[in-house]
Amino acid sequence: MGMNVDLNGLTLKNPVIAASGTYGYNNEFDVFCDVSKLGATVTKAISLHPRPGNDWQRIFETDCGLINSIGLENVGIEKYLSTYQLINLSTIVNIAGSTVEEYLELAKICDKNGIKAIELNLSCPNVKCGCLEFGTDEEALYGLVSRVREIYSGHLTSKLTPNVTSIEKIAIAAEKAGANAISAINTVKALGLKLNYINGEFKKEYVRGGLSGKAVKPVALGAVERISKAVNIPVIGMGGIYTLEDVLEFFAVGAEAVQVGTANFTHPDTCERLVDELEAFMQTNGFATLDELKNKLRALPLAP
Amino acid sequence: MKKLHNGTVKELKEIAKNTVCLRFEPKQSMKIKPGQFVSILCEGLTLRRPFSVADFDGHTVTVLFRQKGKGTKYLAGLKPGDEIDFTGPLGNGFDIQDKKALVIGAGIGIAPVYYLNKFLTQSHFVGAFNSEDEVPKVFEPDEKIIGGTILDHLERLITDYKPEIIYACGPSVVLKAISKLGVPSQLALEKVMACGIGVCKGCVIKIKKGDTVQNMTICHDGPVFEGGEIVWE
Repeated sequence: MGMNVDLNGLTLKNPVIAASGTYGYNNEFDVFCDVSKLGATVTKAISLHPRPGNDWQRIFETDCGLINSIGLENVGIEKYLSTYQLINLSTIVNIAGSTVEEYLELAKICDKNGIKAIELNLSCPNVKCGCLEFGTDEEALYGLVSRVREIYSGHLTSKLTPNVTSIEKIAIAAEKAGANAISAINTVKALGLKLNYINGEFKKEYVRGGLSGKAVKPVALGAVERISKAVNIPVIGMGGIYTLEDVLEFFAVGAEAVQVGTANFTHPDTCERLVDELEAFMQTNGFATLDELKNKLRALPLAP
Repeated sequence: MKKLHNGTVKELKEIAKNTVCLRFEPKQSMKIKPGQFVSILCEGLTLRRPFSVADFDGHTVTVLFRQKGKGTKYLAGLKPGDEIDFTGPLGNGFDIQDKKALVIGAGIGIAPVYYLNKFLTQSHFVGAFNSEDEVPKVFEPDEKIIGGTILDHLERLITDYKPEIIYACGPSVVLKAISKLGVPSQLALEKVMACGIGVCKGCVIKIKKGDTVQNMTICHDGPVFEGGEIVWE
């Protein structure tokens, strides 16, 4: 059955992708489910050199969500390539730099090592300098993506931050710069704060970072809808996807594929289950291809 | 072996003030080492809640918890026969050594060391509690310290018992003090966790090996660490 999805130069066997930062580097989630059934997995963000990440508390649970401030802890591209071999999986390598030069160096290394697809992390709000700028400024983003494009011949996805005034303008810049696809949204800038009054003193627990999970789904749907209307390249939607209904909603507003992130922490078999449920839904209801299903969803009139 | 499981709640009982004992039976067979933990899905919450295994007889998993937040409130409302969705066993357990051991559980930290103590050949098991009514029935240690702080008893315990190794779990202030006693120690730590298998890097701690300090995840590399290697926050 036709679950295949063409992302403008990258064909996946189905549209369910595990999101960066929630699934490790490779097939680590095989202890929970059959990772080989997924359309693809995106690696944890990988930088040119190993990064130790942030100190102190890194995660904070909110009502319906999660704030993280990992600070891009990762092993660096060299160790990634030597240690985490790409075993029969469709892997998209997420790369993060703190300067244009670092992104270019990373792109060059990925190209040389036959990495078929990369996702540019232009949006991680955790790092105090660097990443944030590229994703929030059209010109900076255009400059970066177009230079990566010159160096890297594989499939290039730009992952966008929602922490901007007009995400569609940023998306247009990424398209013009030669990105094959756009993924959105990254986490929403947030502060988690918990106050406890103990023995006459306030004690606080806090994490400044990016909010993800169910809480951000409406923000994500809105962003994906606006981006889809603004560009012609495929949009990979993400933000609070837990169920098949969520997946269909993202298709309805224009997403060609979806990424699942925080749900992997709650139900670690979410991605595999979504593949199965989507397949069953299509079979039961007579959709021969994913496009047929998407077209039907998109034919639903939404107010302009 | 897959680490995502279903189980059935067998029993839920308040066994001391603020302390609930949950016993459940996994549908799949498994082996659990002392110090390993399970992470239980609490309906409506984003993160699972990790609990050290307090006992395991090959069929039934026992965990202890204090009813403190939303997760434990949900768990306290379960009934025998209810389904339980958990991941585990996670992490590495204690390294069981054939040495003269001092075993310390402070408060709810009694849970993993109670299970551990069953595997030790020569041990003195000490539990520290705020009050007598907080001592969990069944899980009673060899020696109880009631009220005050266990910090005031550490030197006496070392002098009296002369342990070759200390195994402990409890508040970090207690574990930190134990790590400075000059006796090899294995300390079970905890922190808010997300993935449970070391990939999200949400629960890292700094560990010093020789001259290098590196991040290790409590969920995957731990939760038990050599006390002398922990860089305390």
